[in-house]
Amino acid sequence: MSAFFRIRGVTMRFGGLVALNDFSMDVTQGSIHALIGPNGAGKSTLLNCISGFCKPQQGEITLQGRKLLAEPAHNIVRLGVGRTFQNIEQLRQMTVLENVLVGLASTMPRYLPFLPGAKRSRAEAQAVAQAETILEQLELASFRNVPAGALDFGRQKMLDFARALASKPSLLLLDEPAAGLRNREIGFLDEFLVRLVQERGITVLLVEHVMQLVMSVANQVTVVNFGQKIAEGSPQQIRSDPAVIEAYLGKEDAHA
Amino acid sequence: MYGSPSLKQLLPLALLLLAALAASLQLPDYFIYISNLLMVYLILAIGLDIVMGWAGQFAFAHVAFYGIGMYGTALLHMRLGLPFIIGMPIAALVAALVGLLIALPATKLRTVYLALATFAFAECAQWTFRTWDKLTGGPDGLRVTAGNVLGFSITNDRQAMPVVAVLLIAVLAATLFLQRSSLGRCFFAIRDSEYVAIASGIDPKRTKVLALCISALYAGIAGGASTLFQSYIHPDSLGSWTLILLLSMVVVGGSASVAGVALGVVLLGLLPELLRAAPKGVLVWQELIYGLLLMVSVIFMPRGIWGSLQTFRKTRRRSKT
Repeated sequence: MSAFFRIRGVTMRFGGLVALNDFSMDVTQGSIHALIGPNGAGKSTLLNCISGFCKPQQGEITLQGRKLLAEPAHNIVRLGVGRTFQNIEQLRQMTVLENVLVGLASTMPRYLPFLPGAKRSRAEAQAVAQAETILEQLELASFRNVPAGALDFGRQKMLDFARALASKPSLLLLDEPAAGLRNREIGFLDEFLVRLVQERGITVLLVEHVMQLVMSVANQVTVVNFGQKIAEGSPQQIRSDPAVIEAYLGKEDAHA
Repeated sequence: MYGSPSLKQLLPLALLLLAALAASLQLPDYFIYISNLLMVYLILAIGLDIVMGWAGQFAFAHVAFYGIGMYGTALLHMRLGLPFIIGMPIAALVAALVGLLIALPATKLRTVYLALATFAFAECAQWTFRTWDKLTGGPDGLRVTAGNVLGFSITNDRQAMPVVAVLLIAVLAATLFLQRSSLGRCFFAIRDSEYVAIASGIDPKRTKVLALCISALYAGIAGGASTLFQSYIHPDSLGSWTLILLLSMVVVGGSASVAGVALGVVLLGLLPELLRAAPKGVLVWQELIYGLLLMVSVIFMPRGIWGSLQTFRKTRRRSKT
C-alpha cells in the first residue's frame, strides 16, 4: 500500500551545504505529523521542497501517488498542498478579507475582469462567503477590513493559517505556527488543529519548536538533524529517545 | 477589493462624463485643450499605476506604448483610411502585443533591473519614432488629419472632447471593475508578497505579463485618443520627461487608487497653468517647484496626497468614537 504522502531520498544542496541528505519519510492520511529538530536541521528546507520553492537535486515527493517535484511552485496548491510561512509573510497592504480571498485564488473560476457579469457576481459572492466563514472560525471576523500589516503578531499568524486553509488543502504544511504566540493562542491553535483533522480529514505536517503543542497534538513525530532523520515515533517514544536528547542537549560526556 | 464597484463608486464617473460633455460646449478653447490633455494623462497614469502601484513592477516603457498607440492610430487613419473606432483599438492592441513581447523577457527581472531594461526600451522606441522618417515623419513629426469618429469628422479640440471623455470614463469604469476582480487581487498579491501569491496558486510570471499588457493597452488607448486633438504628433512628447511627469502624478496623487491618481494628474497637470497665471518670474521656477513638490510629497506623504487624506480621515473617525 502506498502512503498518502511520501518523501523518498530527497537531497537538497545549497552550494557546499547539504541541507537535506537522502531524506525519506511517510505521512499517514488524517494524522498530525510533527517535524522537529534543532535550528538549521533542514525542516524549513523540506517544507520549501514540498511546496516547490526549492527543487532538490535528488529524490521524489508524492502526494496520493502524484509527483510534486515536477510541478512549478504555483501549481502545488492545486494538487492539495497548502502552507503557512515561518517569518510572517503577509499581503500587508491588503485587508484581512482580501488575504483570504487570495488564498481562494486557485479555486476561483476565471471571468472577464473589466466588466460586470453574472459569472463574476456568483464567483465573488461565493468567495467572500467562504472567506468570511474561515475568518469566523479563526476569530478574525471583526478585523475583516483591517490591513493585514496592522494586525498584532498572533493574529497575523492566524491570518496566514486562514489563507492557507482557504485553498482546502488535503495536506497542510505549518511552519512554526506557534512561535511567538501567547499561551491562550497556543491553546486555541491546539484545539483548532485537532478539530481540523477530525472534522475535515486534513493531514497536517507540522514544523514546530513549541514542544507543548507538538506533544499535545502530534500522532507521529519525526526528528531531523543535519538534514537527516535521527528518530521517528509517537511523542512518548521521541521524548525518551537518546538520539533526540543528544541532538537537543548535546552528549553527556561533552561537558563532563 | 472584491465583488463589483457599487453604484456609489460608479455614479461619480457618470457625473464626470456629464460635466465633461457640458463643458465641451462652454469652456474657452484653451481650457478645452487642457482638459483633453489631462484626460489623456489620466488614462496614461492609471495604466502606469496598474503595473507599478498595483503589481509592484517598476516597468518604465509606458511612453513607448503611448507612442505606438499614437502613431498607430494616426497612420492607420491616414494611410489606410481606417476610422477611429477601428484604428484606435487596433493600435492599442498592437501596443499591448508589444507589451507582451517586452514582458516575456522583462518579467524575469526585478526592481532596478526591470526599471532600467524597460526604460532602455522606451528610449529605443523614441529613437525609432524619431528616425523612421518615412513612417513617422521623423523629428518634424506627423501632421494628423481630421479624425473620423462614427462618421463625424473631428476637426477641432472642442469636437474631440466628448470622444476623449467617453473613452476616459469607459477606461475608469473598467479599471474599477479590474480593481475588484480576482485578477486585480492577483496583482496586489504579487506586489505584497510573491511567496504568498505563489503558495496561493498564483503564477507570478503570468500575472506580471498580464499587468504589463493591460498597462500597455491603456497607454495605447491614450495615444489613440491624443491624435484627436493634437494637430502634430512628434517624438519629443515620448521621452523620459513625460515618463517622469506620469510617475510624479501617480506618486504625488497616491498610487494603487484611481481617485489618488486622478488627483495627481489634475494637480500636476494644472500646475504649469497656475504658474503661468502667477506673476512673471515665477514661471522660471517651474521645474524647481515640480522637484520640490515631488520631494516633499515622497518624504511626508509616501502614500501620496490621497493616501494621507485616507489615513487622516480614519484617525479622526477613531478619535471621535
